[in-house]
Amino acid sequence: MTMNRQERIDVDAKKREAAMAMGGPAKLARRAEAGELNARERIAHLFDEGTFREMGLFATSQVPADKDSTPADGKVTGTGRIDGRLASAVAYDFTVKGASSSPVSNRKMQHMKDLALRSGFPVVYFSESTGVRMPDIMGGAGMGSMSDKVRFLRGRESPWVAAVFGFSFGSAAWHAVASDFSVFRKGSVMAVSSPKLVSMATAQQVDKEELGGWRIHGAQTGLVDMVVDTDAEAVAAIRRFLSYLPSNNQVAPPTAEVPKSSGAGMVDIESFVPESPSQVYDMRKVLAQIADKDSVFELKSLYAKNLTTALVRIGGKSVGVIANNPMFKGGAIDADACDKAVNMLVMCDSYNIPLLFLVDQPGFLVGLEAERQKIAGKVINWMNALSLVTVPKVTVMLRKNYGQAFVNMGGAETAHAVAAWWTSQVSFMDPRSGTQIVYGVTPESDPEAFERGYTEMARGTSAYDIASVYGVHEVIDPADTRDFIIDALDVHHLGRTNGIGEHLLRHWPTSF
Amino acid sequence: MTQMINAEMSASVWRVLVTPGTEVEADEPILILESMKMEIPVMSDGGRVVEIAVSQGEIVQSGQHLVTVDPS
Repeated sequence: MTMNRQERIDVDAKKREAAMAMGGPAKLARRAEAGELNARERIAHLFDEGTFREMGLFATSQVPADKDSTPADGKVTGTGRIDGRLASAVAYDFTVKGASSSPVSNRKMQHMKDLALRSGFPVVYFSESTGVRMPDIMGGAGMGSMSDKVRFLRGRESPWVAAVFGFSFGSAAWHAVASDFSVFRKGSVMAVSSPKLVSMATAQQVDKEELGGWRIHGAQTGLVDMVVDTDAEAVAAIRRFLSYLPSNNQVAPPTAEVPKSSGAGMVDIESFVPESPSQVYDMRKVLAQIADKDSVFELKSLYAKNLTTALVRIGGKSVGVIANNPMFKGGAIDADACDKAVNMLVMCDSYNIPLLFLVDQPGFLVGLEAERQKIAGKVINWMNALSLVTVPKVTVMLRKNYGQAFVNMGGAETAHAVAAWWTSQVSFMDPRSGTQIVYGVTPESDPEAFERGYTEMARGTSAYDIASVYGVHEVIDPADTRDFIIDALDVHHLGRTNGIGEHLLRHWPTSF
Repeated sequence: MTQMINAEMSASVWRVLVTPGTEVEADEPILILESMKMEIPVMSDGGRVVEIAVSQGEIVQSGQHLVTVDPS
């Protein structure tokens, strides 16, 4: 049957309307009432206005009975621009068969990844899925027809970022945990499989929040990098994260204008840090002064709070920060903090982002719990990663700095530019502990002998002592910290490669 | 909701700063633990301290209950 142009336009418009309808008005209305965005609204929030080009609008399930009830086959995919830069996106449409995965929708997802890899731009996942779809993937033929050879090959050529919405089981969870950044909307549940399936399989009654809610993944597993209240905040967090990153690993991160009054707080920086090394303070307040105004984007803020990690800008340049935070656990570094640090090393090395260590720590947290959590393995995992990093590393020691953790935190020639505040104290352990161990006395058992021993143990632990063997390059006035870092980022810029590192960590596991 | 505060790490109780019944501000130290030679403050979201389950000098394990606070 032949059609004229107008008839073709009408037919096409009808098909388009059906494909855009998602899971139908009733399901969409329920989401809207619950205050949740649908897949297409999330896409609209993500990309600069008018830049989204959809691919696969007319894809559907190949199961004949489902052809009309699977618009876009449950995944909205395409490309667009974020602050002018290209990215591809996969938005799971939960209103279409729970955004379950079928062979066709998997092809769409793989295309977005391939495209991003070849052209060098990020992939954004809006995760929300029940897992694989039955009967589309079922039995030997269903499983045998899958192609997963490179599906989760992370070479970190370009960033993967994910937001976890609603129920995220199966691939929705896989993509989130394999991403460089994942944000979790409260009320969502991320797990290998649903609470119902878990209850059936293990005869365990499980609560969904306990199985995979925001407290679990924000504070306990650390598998997500940020927790937010709303869908819109999650999408905004993704846009902001990407603003610190290059589109791919062959270009340097974007630079930004330095906001006026950045660094204005540096003159009073010493007032944030108590003189007594036993007293705590919140390192994040110090970081906020050092970084460009309002540029601190903290990662995993609920997990291993004793070690702060953040993306910031200093002098307009993206910098990855690894900082001890004495406010929590006195800043002692435990097993979770080790994992958090390595995570940051891997990301920064993979995407040409210089690293900054802010150091004030009493040592690795020793004890029964630490040993059972494989702390020894994790300390050396960190050292292995640190030694493979090729982007510029800058270390600033603020106050105390003891033991092996001195090395892990960018000491002992592991960093390129190293400064110590004139208040720094560096040794193999806290001189008070050293006195107790070497002289066998405590301030209570023998105050005089303790004082004598302490004087001996504290000898030679000042910033000038470590500077005398060139163990630090400079001893600085704390007020000069920001200037020191800005100059170091200039001096140690990888000039021969326009800021591109060797990415030796790009194949490091995504969870460990 | 009543706030139960547990030790975030193994430590000794260095100082107890308030008695049950005291109203405390958010982030006001209730007691101070000592571990790794650090004085680690234990704080709440603010309210009335209804129980202090440990005493000065006591050794506490990670996760051990320290303080209960009722929000005011």
